[in-house]
Amino acid sequence: MRALRWILVPLLVAPVAWLLFQGFGRDPREIASPLLGQPAPAWSLTTLDGETVSSAELAGRPYLVNFWASWCIPACVDEHPVLAAAHERHGDELTIVGVLYQDDPDDARGFLSRYGDAGYPHVIDPDGRLAIDFGVTGPPETFFVGADGMVRYRQFGPLSEPRMAELLPLVLPVAIR
Amino acid sequence: MVGLGLLVAVAGLVLVVTLSTGAAPSDARRTADLAAELRCPDCQGLSVADSPTTSAREIRRQIGELVAGGASDDEVRAHFVARYGEWIRLAPSGATPWLIPFGVLLTGLLALGAWLLRRPGGPPTTAPPTDAQRRAVRDEAEALDA
Repeated sequence: MRALRWILVPLLVAPVAWLLFQGFGRDPREIASPLLGQPAPAWSLTTLDGETVSSAELAGRPYLVNFWASWCIPACVDEHPVLAAAHERHGDELTIVGVLYQDDPDDARGFLSRYGDAGYPHVIDPDGRLAIDFGVTGPPETFFVGADGMVRYRQFGPLSEPRMAELLPLVLPVAIR
Repeated sequence: MVGLGLLVAVAGLVLVVTLSTGAAPSDARRTADLAAELRCPDCQGLSVADSPTTSAREIRRQIGELVAGGASDDEVRAHFVARYGEWIRLAPSGATPWLIPFGVLLTGLLALGAWLLRRPGGPPTTAPPTDAQRRAVRDEAEALDA
């Protein structure tokens, strides 16, 4: 009986303690997206320059959908050069689309003139409908969509250079550095 | 005569209103109830019904649209679960999560009961003195008195 107790108590306590401890280091919103492996939501939106871009135009090509906002500081400021560099390096085979998340277009233009406009389009999402279709809970969030139109990954929070290098092979046929 | 007609009309109206609310909740009622069940995506612990954010407003509008389009409550829930996962629901679905605390409580009570029953010896008792012990005490008392 005594020996059993020495086995049973840690057996019951350890998993609970582990579960509670895990909770400290996590953001409760960082949940697996149900979109993974599913077709990316379809959209057709107007860019900051007044042009129309749609998901249909991007069919057959991998793309990143990056939800951001000018008020998302410092996370969106930190990841901005990472996205710009990815566009610079892989712009030929990969499209990056910025989506304004509950942001004023003028504030977004101000952000881009301050931190640099990398040249990829930024679309205005009135009423946040696309954000809802992607299940976005707050910027920045980036969805990696494969050439087959399927969502391959959701990055919750800012993308760093190493993270981007790790994730790009999910949508690009050859891992390029 | 006019008074009677008015009375009948009012009674009819009351009857219709009572029946319609009693039979099935209105679209507005269902929309509000569903909004109260769903988590506002960009708030901390608020329902879509309680939040003023753009997302919450848009989700409320979409619920209204789905309800008006004839979607059932479960179809509306599924629409948002497909986007956000089960996380979007403020209360878990199914009965299991609600039963867990009771299960834990029951396990604890059973463990406590088992422990109390197994305690060696049960409640502490003192055996009454034997005749020899009584005699010895009496003899000692007499010796002291003497």
